[in-house]
Amino acid sequence: MGLEKRNGHVYYYKSRRDGEKVRKVYVGAGDFAHLAARQDEAERLRREEEVAYWEAERERLERSTAFLGELEEAAEVLIRAYLLASGFHQHKGQWRRQRGA
Amino acid sequence: MELELHKDVKDRLGELRTLSERVEDGDNSARKELRRALRESAPEVISQASDIGRRGQRVLIKTVAANDPLTEEALVARLELMRADIAGPDPSPLEVLLTERICSLWLLIEVLEWLVSAQLSGDLPREQRSPMSFLQHVFKWQESANRRFLCAIRELARVRKLQNNVPGVQVNTQINVASTESQRGEEPNC
Repeated sequence: MGLEKRNGHVYYYKSRRDGEKVRKVYVGAGDFAHLAARQDEAERLRREEEVAYWEAERERLERSTAFLGELEEAAEVLIRAYLLASGFHQHKGQWRRQRGA
Repeated sequence: MELELHKDVKDRLGELRTLSERVEDGDNSARKELRRALRESAPEVISQASDIGRRGQRVLIKTVAANDPLTEEALVARLELMRADIAGPDPSPLEVLLTERICSLWLLIEVLEWLVSAQLSGDLPREQRSPMSFLQHVFKWQESANRRFLCAIRELARVRKLQNNVPGVQVNTQINVASTESQRGEEPNC
């Protein structure tokens, strides 16, 4: 995709995916070609900025919920340790009291 | 704001995990060691994890309140009530920890609900709408948060059931939970 110079003239083409093939589509020539190229470039930058913004937003939310992982890890380790120390054991995912414990 | 467990607390958790594995592998001497380690480590681990839970909740409240002091205060009060309601009148340290976990997950679910409903609202201008890729992340979070929330409730019910007739390991730690007249709720049926 882009501006192409041929025989002193400028032409602007875009790429279009058509199934597995990528086709070159003619957009325009001369000043119109430059204008269309600038417009497309601005649109591309806007999309990139938008993607970066939402990515940062997602990371911000993930950071603010990361404490849950710490909390869950501590709770899980302690519960397991507490139950084992109290004489329980796990049988097929189910906690059971050991005989004589 | 620091929302991670200190390294020494993580080390203690690692030690408890290793000892638990040894007990599960049938090493009887490890049970005694596990009891000792629990006596020594549990108060610090529980108090730090509960503290992180509360600080994390404040961060989430700020996110969802979006600088509206009324929403912020309402959520803080709602969490206090919920915490007291779930923990009950005389919670064990483990119950306190699980209560923080349940409250945090409930809050996360609320935050995500708010985010999705704001995005799906017809009043939101088109340019302020988040892309579908972002919403897909949010939907995944919602699913995961709901699953973890139910799991945490189940864990609390299980701990209560097993604690009922077990003298167990005594862990002395003081964590203040807002007093309430409300009684401990029934165990969830899940």
